[in-house]
Amino acid sequence: MPTLPLDELQLTEKDPKMGKLRTLPALHPERKAERAFVLYKPPPKAGDPALVEEFLERAKFIANDLDWLLALPHDKFWCQVIFDETLQKCLNSYLCHAPRKFDALVDLPLEVNDLQKYLHRSVFLTFLRMSTHKESKDHFIAPSAFGEILYNYYLFDIPKILDLCVLFGKGNSPLLRKMIENIFTQQSSYFSDLNETVPTILQVFNNILHACGLQVEGASSEPQKLEERVKETPSDMPLQELKDIVLYLCDTCTTLWAFLDVFPLACQTFQKHDFCYRLASFYELMIAELESAIKRRRYEDEGLLADLWRRLSHSRKKMVETFHILINQLCLQPILESSSDNIQLFIEEFLQIFTSVLQERRFLRDYDELFPVVDDVSLLQQASSTLDETRTTYILHGVESAWEGVDRRKASVTGSPPPI
Amino acid sequence: MAFPRLTEALRAFSNVTKQDDYSEELADLTKKRSILHEQLLSSGLTWKKIVQFVDENLDSKEHQSINGDLKIILQAAKQIVGSENGQETIESGAVFLFKLFHLKEYVGHDETKAIKQMFGPFPSSSATAACNATCRIASHFTEEQLTELIQMAEEQNGDNRLFFGKSIVFSFDMYDLDHFEELPINGETDKQTTISLDY
Repeated sequence: MPTLPLDELQLTEKDPKMGKLRTLPALHPERKAERAFVLYKPPPKAGDPALVEEFLERAKFIANDLDWLLALPHDKFWCQVIFDETLQKCLNSYLCHAPRKFDALVDLPLEVNDLQKYLHRSVFLTFLRMSTHKESKDHFIAPSAFGEILYNYYLFDIPKILDLCVLFGKGNSPLLRKMIENIFTQQSSYFSDLNETVPTILQVFNNILHACGLQVEGASSEPQKLEERVKETPSDMPLQELKDIVLYLCDTCTTLWAFLDVFPLACQTFQKHDFCYRLASFYELMIAELESAIKRRRYEDEGLLADLWRRLSHSRKKMVETFHILINQLCLQPILESSSDNIQLFIEEFLQIFTSVLQERRFLRDYDELFPVVDDVSLLQQASSTLDETRTTYILHGVESAWEGVDRRKASVTGSPPPI
Repeated sequence: MAFPRLTEALRAFSNVTKQDDYSEELADLTKKRSILHEQLLSSGLTWKKIVQFVDENLDSKEHQSINGDLKIILQAAKQIVGSENGQETIESGAVFLFKLFHLKEYVGHDETKAIKQMFGPFPSSSATAACNATCRIASHFTEEQLTELIQMAEEQNGDNRLFFGKSIVFSFDMYDLDHFEELPINGETDKQTTISLDY
C-alpha cells in the first residue's frame, strides 16, 4: 500500500492530557511540543562579560533547540515548524541579525565564535529541511500542499529568501539554489510577492538619494518650505550619517547581487519594473556624490573614511555585476540558447536596455570597464544576420562617448587601503 | 547598534511578510528557563531511580556512607533550588546536580554557569558539597555503569534520534568586501580617470 503524504495522514496516539487514544491529522497544532524558542541576538561588539554571557545563554538555548528540532521525525518536525510561532520568530531573528562578513566585525572570543558557527550551520539545516518536501520514500508532503504550507504560514517570504542568499550563498550556492528554486516552483505566489517587493527596493534607492539631498525621480518640484531643514549633502552631513548611508548602500547592493546570483530566474520580475535603467540611474547619481564627499572629508577620521571608501568601491562593483547578471539572464543567455526564430525578442531587449542607459555616462564607463559592451554587441552580430547595425552603432558610439575626456586605464590590483 | 539592512526595510515597508509583534519576547529567557525547569521535573531520570541504582549495585556495607552522600546532594539541592520548593522540585534539582557532576572532580566554570542558568544565583559551597558527594558515589562505579544510567533516561526522552543533515557538507564561507584597487582619495586629482573597476 502506498504511503500517504503527510498532509493527508491521520495518526492515532495517546492524548497526553486525558490519556485516551485519539486520532488527529498528522499536521495538527495539538501535536506541537511546548519548547519556547528564544530570539537570536548578535554577538556583542564590546567584550562586556555580561553581554557575552547573555549571548552565550541565548545561543546555547537556540543551538540545543535546533538540534532537538532537526532530530524530530518528519511529522513532528513539520508540526513544530508550522504551529510554533516562537520557532518562526527565532529563525527570523537570526536572519535579521546574524552578522554578515562584510559588516564591521570585531574579534570575538573563541567560545562565542564557535557557538555562532554552530548556530549558523543549524539554521541553514533547518531552512534546508523546511524547503524539502520529499525527505524520503515514506516521508513527504504533496507538492501543492507543501507550496500552500510554505506560503500560508510565512515559513519563507521574500526578505527571508534575500537574507538566506546573503548569509549562505557564498559557500553553499548549489544547495541554496536548489532550495529557492524548489520554493518558487512549488509556490508561484512567491513570484507575485517578488513583483510587489521590487517597487519597495526601488523606494530604498530613492530613500538613499533623498537622504543625500539628491533629486528623486518623480519627487515634487515644490520649493522648500521655510521651516523645513535645509537638505544636507553627503559632503556636509555629520560623518555618522554618511557612514550609515554607505553601510546601507553596501548591504543593499550586496544583498541584491547575492539574491540574483543565486536565483537568476528572478531577473524577469525585476526587469518588469525597468530595473536596469533604475539601477544605472541610481548609480550615476549616487556614486559620484559619495566619492566626492569622502574625498572632501580627508581631514576627518582617516580610518573610518578608508573603510567607507572600501565599502563604496565594493558597492559599485556589486551594482555593475548585478546589472550584468540581468543583461546575461534576460538577453545574452537566451540568445546563446535560442533558435534563430526567437532571438529577435532578446536582441530587442538588449538594445532597449542599453539605449535607455546611454545617458548614464559614469555607469556606462564602469560597466564597460568590467564587461566590455563591444563584446556583447559582437555576440549579437554573430547570432543575427538581420541585426539593426544603426542601433548597435549608436550604442557603441554612446559608450565611446562616455569615455571621452577619460583615459581608459587597466589599473593593477592592489590590496592596500587608499592613501589618505 | 543594528546595521542598516535592505531586508529590514522590506520587512517594514512591503506587504509580503508577516508583521510579528516581538514586544512579548522581551522576557523570553525567563520563560525558557521556566520551561526547562518543568522539563527537568518530568525528565526520565528520577531521584528514586538513582537511589535504586545505588542499592542494586552496591554491597549493604557500603550503603551507610553512600546514603550519607545522597543526603548531602539532596541538602545541597534544597539550598540551591530554594527550601520553599516542594520535595519533588528538590529531588529534580538533586538529579540535575548528579547528572552534572557524575563525571566531574570539581565545580568548573561550565558547571557554575549551568547551575546558574537553571536555578539563578546559588551558594557555591552547596555546589561544591554536591560535587564532592557525587564524586564519592561515582567512585564506586565504572564510567560505563554511570553513562548507562544517564543515557537510559535520555533515551526515554528521545534525544538520541538521527539528526537531519548530519551528512550535509556545509561551508562557513560568507560574502566579504571585494578587494579593491588603490583609488585617488588623497585629493591630488579629482578626475575620475584613475578610478577603475578592474579588480
